[in-house]
Amino acid sequence: MRSVFLPVLALLVPLAARAERPAIDLNGARIQAYPLAVAKPLGDPRASLQVQAVLTQDFERSGLFKLLDPASFLARDDLRAIDFPSWAAVGAQGLVKLSCDATVKCELRLFDVGGARELLHGTYSAPPAGARQIAHRFGDDVVRFFTQEPGIFQTRIAYVRETATGKQIVVADADGFGPQLLTSASINLLPAWTPDGKTIAFTSLRDGSGAHVYTVDVSSRQVKPLVLMGDFAAGAAYAPDGLKFTFSTSVDDNTDVYVSQADGSAGRRLTATRGIDISASWSPNGRRLAFISERAGSPQVYTMLADGSDVRRLTFQGNYNQEPAWSPKGDLIAFSGRDEKRVFDIYTINPETGKVARLTQNAGTNEKPAWSPNGRYLLYSSTRSGKRQIWLMGADGANQRQLTSESVGASDPAWGPLLPQK
Amino acid sequence: MQVHRSALVAISRVPIAPGVMLAVGLHAVVLAAAILLPPLFDRPPPLRKPILAHLVALGKPRSKDLLPRKLSPPPPAPAAAASPAPVSPVAPPAPHSKPSMNSPPAVKPTAPAPRAPTRRELMDRALARASGHAEATHEAPDPDRAGQADGNPAGTAETAEAGERYFSDVHDAILANYVVPSVISERERLYLSATVVAYIRSDGSLLKHNLQKKSGNHFFDEALELAIARTKLPPPPPELARALRDEGVALNFRP
Repeated sequence: MRSVFLPVLALLVPLAARAERPAIDLNGARIQAYPLAVAKPLGDPRASLQVQAVLTQDFERSGLFKLLDPASFLARDDLRAIDFPSWAAVGAQGLVKLSCDATVKCELRLFDVGGARELLHGTYSAPPAGARQIAHRFGDDVVRFFTQEPGIFQTRIAYVRETATGKQIVVADADGFGPQLLTSASINLLPAWTPDGKTIAFTSLRDGSGAHVYTVDVSSRQVKPLVLMGDFAAGAAYAPDGLKFTFSTSVDDNTDVYVSQADGSAGRRLTATRGIDISASWSPNGRRLAFISERAGSPQVYTMLADGSDVRRLTFQGNYNQEPAWSPKGDLIAFSGRDEKRVFDIYTINPETGKVARLTQNAGTNEKPAWSPNGRYLLYSSTRSGKRQIWLMGADGANQRQLTSESVGASDPAWGPLLPQK
Repeated sequence: MQVHRSALVAISRVPIAPGVMLAVGLHAVVLAAAILLPPLFDRPPPLRKPILAHLVALGKPRSKDLLPRKLSPPPPAPAAAASPAPVSPVAPPAPHSKPSMNSPPAVKPTAPAPRAPTRRELMDRALARASGHAEATHEAPDPDRAGQADGNPAGTAETAEAGERYFSDVHDAILANYVVPSVISERERLYLSATVVAYIRSDGSLLKHNLQKKSGNHFFDEALELAIARTKLPPPPPELARALRDEGVALNFRP
């Protein structure tokens, strides 16, 4: 008998289980910065407060976190015994506690307030002047923990410092702190990092016979010529593997994009149309290049294969688009474009769909976008505060913040590579 | 001597009990089906997905040859000299012609035929006078416009099926509290999904909820828990109350 009933029951059970429960699809959540509290530091006040200040600024600049006002904090706990309900009461979802001793050995912890658990714990040590580096390291660890992407707090940036007598290449921390001059004379422009972060190529008028491409060693500040072709060679951009670089040069009164070995040898022309072809930028896989061409009558963004074939026009809106920068994630190309009010602003375009998004508007002239190595942020120059300075924003244009405060001005930012993980 | 066996003898040897049991079993199956199957078809129909629409901003069409502009927030409403009297919920204002994208709105329509004010309108005017407010200066509502007493002035449908409206309300209420932390990377957001089954009492309060399918990301799941905890749901209509209490509603979350 069981052999008769079991198949029948087997038929009925799935029928009963298929009862239609109503379902609602919820998409389109608001994306909101993660509410984070950085508690009052413990231990040696000098080192602890410096680490806390730098860490707080890093978190704020990142746009990922909403830093809660310390004046609202209720909890009176120590480094390990945490009064989680008090932190939840002030709206914190994450909590950072830190303590440093006088030798700048610091213990930092990240807690999940809702789950009442520790998420991260690190002990860092540095020389007496290294409190900033400790803050940057822990900040990068926190970003990596949440996003599974590398943080950029320990990276460096380069830009052009404008002075009364010329323009010099400067390197600084990613937050603009500690600028250091790499060049000291003439007009120097368009810095471009090598992928190992040891060298910067730049365009200079230093030899008095036009513009040419040079390199400078970031540590020793030693300058070497790289491209001395003709009387105009400019705008070096290294391939992701660092073995080649592109630049533009004028031959027979026609400016084209060239590619060369990293040492400047074996230069080869990639474009061959009338009109200017310039400002090449590599895709992250090194297979394609974005560049600016005037072949259709006005400067527009094009892409081509790295051997110069398969040229495709990318932008069709606006009549003056320039300075393309391909995101390390590969999904966007940033550029500056002049709108109908004859003001330059920063835009991104999706190379697959051609969809253009505007990132800056009604805030001075905004030019020269440069991606962070994790593809989350853009540096650019802006005149919105009066003088041209370097600014930072998210890849969607959010959280725009001024980084530099140069007395005459700053331009041409370039973001250095990620440091190898230690 | 040759003996012939009768076929009847052979048949008579077949045991009768299994046949009877089989018949009883089949009857039981039919009976069970008659009892179990109807409720399956009485359950609420699967919900149609809410359709989200965007109101197009008023302005000049932008040439496709120009670079785009960022979408600016709508201009603030002009300051009224005095607060208008409450709008009668019975009949919201209605234009007499279909609105056009290129033509300015609020063109004064052909005046409707004069009519005696309703009791509600008289009361509204009296309240406005009593509170020192000027009488409403907006257009008179179209008395012929079909709708519902609790409808929206900007509404475009005459009626709403109760169940569908309820689920839309649930959707909107949860969406208002649905906040995902930015620390979850864009790449991960593309693939995250989770399902929470919420069981709702007849007064709209949450009986319980289960995270039926976790996303694999603690912070996303935590955000869903927060969204549900912060949401005050409306009471379900009577015809849905039992099903929502006993079987719940599945909330399929994607960022």
